[in-house]
Amino acid sequence: MTAVERIEADTAQRPAREGPGLRRILPWFLTGLITLLCVVPFLLVIAISFGRKIEGAAWTWDFTLANYQRFFVGALWPDDVTFLYLQQLGFSFWYAVIASLLAVLTALPFTLLLTRLSRRAQAAWLVFILSSLSLSEVFIVMGWDILLSNNSGLPALFKSTGLTLWLKDVGWFQTLRDWGLASPRNVKFKTSQFATILTMSYLVWPYAVILLYPALSRLDRSQSEAARTMGAGGWTVARTVILPAIRLPLFGSTLLLFVFLLGTYVAVTVFAAPAQHTTAVAIYTNIRGANLNAPFGATQAVILLISAGLCLGLGHRLNKWAEAR
Amino acid sequence: MTKLNRRTLLKTGAAGLAASSVLGTPLIAQSRSLKIGSYGGYFEDSFKEFVYPAFTDATGIAVESVTQPNSTDWLVTMQQATAAGSVPADLSLYARDTLIKASRIGGLLKPLNLSAMPATSNLDPYFVFEASEGPLGVGAMSWFTAMVINPGEVEAPASWAEFWDSSVYEASLGLSRNYNSQFLDIVAATFFEGEETFKTDEGILALIEKAAEIKPNVALWWSAESQMEQSMKNGDVIGGQYYLDVANLMMADGFPIKPIFPKEGNPQDYGSWCLSSLSDKADEAAEFINFSSDPATQALMSRKIGTAPLLDQSKTDLTDEEFAFVSGTPSIRPAYEAYLDKETFIKESWDKMLAGA
Repeated sequence: MTAVERIEADTAQRPAREGPGLRRILPWFLTGLITLLCVVPFLLVIAISFGRKIEGAAWTWDFTLANYQRFFVGALWPDDVTFLYLQQLGFSFWYAVIASLLAVLTALPFTLLLTRLSRRAQAAWLVFILSSLSLSEVFIVMGWDILLSNNSGLPALFKSTGLTLWLKDVGWFQTLRDWGLASPRNVKFKTSQFATILTMSYLVWPYAVILLYPALSRLDRSQSEAARTMGAGGWTVARTVILPAIRLPLFGSTLLLFVFLLGTYVAVTVFAAPAQHTTAVAIYTNIRGANLNAPFGATQAVILLISAGLCLGLGHRLNKWAEAR
Repeated sequence: MTKLNRRTLLKTGAAGLAASSVLGTPLIAQSRSLKIGSYGGYFEDSFKEFVYPAFTDATGIAVESVTQPNSTDWLVTMQQATAAGSVPADLSLYARDTLIKASRIGGLLKPLNLSAMPATSNLDPYFVFEASEGPLGVGAMSWFTAMVINPGEVEAPASWAEFWDSSVYEASLGLSRNYNSQFLDIVAATFFEGEETFKTDEGILALIEKAAEIKPNVALWWSAESQMEQSMKNGDVIGGQYYLDVANLMMADGFPIKPIFPKEGNPQDYGSWCLSSLSDKADEAAEFINFSSDPATQALMSRKIGTAPLLDQSKTDLTDEEFAFVSGTPSIRPAYEAYLDKETFIKESWDKMLAGA
């Protein structure tokens, strides 16, 4: 009896169960669906990144590495070299790193205090934070835009409380002007890196709380208490007991938020000056807008993706290395 | 069973026939329809409220309004739709550069039959775009990107050159971020030989270099119209470039903004009606374009939408005051061809200038 025959005999003997067809089809169906919805668009982006732009019109399918070359040295190479696109990639990373760190570091003490509240209060806070996630990026940016506006926001407050005048009197106003945080009339917070990073960390702050909450709520309080009874101060406890215990979720959350923030579009377009724009904004201006250069946009997207992948890989390695120690 | 004689049969039959023809007439008239695209928001709403009903009254052709985000993004949509074999609109509204781009891409637009639209002879020939395969676009309306200031903060400048003065405008201006949003045309008209300067790469680099000198005075490089609107209202900027019609509307609403025609003038752009290559409504489209080119319709659009007419003020019944609200002189004509022929070069040089890279 061959193996196949044995299996066939086996299945024949087994009583027919409900819907064996469905059970077999479902995984295939799901695989197909994932392929269709995720892999195909992804492959399309990679394929388009090798396309060729036709000046003054759209683009066409091709196989050229010119777009990748342009990303590193500019379109006019070798006559002229520009690191414009690398600079934009740099800003993507800069904003994402600072904003995700800021979000996690401020969410940490908050979440820690949250876990010490009563069950009821915790639930209420979590529901509130979860519901704030329903606000879209556009809403949040609009809100901050108003809060930082000259006539209705923080600068108006500076002016009406006499703070602007005081800054002018003591001479710090000139420093703010040098930093680009003031016009001759009043302080101004847009466009600035300050506003961009502030909005971006605000954007992911609820995620930071939600990501840290499970780990922090499982934290064994008897350990901190034991350290306390042995005479350790609050700071020493945080540094030597709490932080090591939650190192992994802390690192994981930062990494996740970082990757999430790499693609931020609205906050950067509104709050960052063009000199500090990111790859995400550049991708959009190439694909849509007046330019119709989908191939170069796709190239930038692929490179952004590869860089993000490298960062995740590096983070994973770093983590393993830290574990091993 | 009722006995049917010939007479009653004829009677009921005739009545039935009459009834069906009475019901049928409006159906036949209604079956003539046209899908027309225009920029969403206030613009499209005004079209739906004032222009399309007047057209339907005049011709019996029903109009289905289609929302376009703008010209350039709509071209992407129409390009994909044409490839897929079914388009969302018969007539689209394209700015001239998008129209030229569409004609260069090819296969997207159907040539128009100008003899079926006699009213187009009223328009300045510049507004009828002729490609090798025939006329592809007829001007619909035009708009200016004007110099604007906050009259509460600064005196009206006599020239664009005053915007370069940091003692007045440090970190105070709002200019458009896109390389082809006509700021370079303003620089060319103010400091160089206008469109001529765009003919050489050196000329273009000189324009961009001059534009770079204004950077310390710019507080906002806007990409969406609403950003500039908010910033003028909020006092984040006290001057810059903005659409003349919207600026006038804002001024009428009491906001601190005033459009100015400095001595070099303001850039004038215009939108064209273009027929999709897949549309089978060429006749209806011709009737609409003919209607739109009529001096009365041009005046209607100026009054209700705030666009500049594409023909002499004398041909319309617009008063001087109404005309000044939507138009002015001199007008700067953008170097459309250069922007397209040297697209990548201008875009990258401009982006580099903005990024300081």
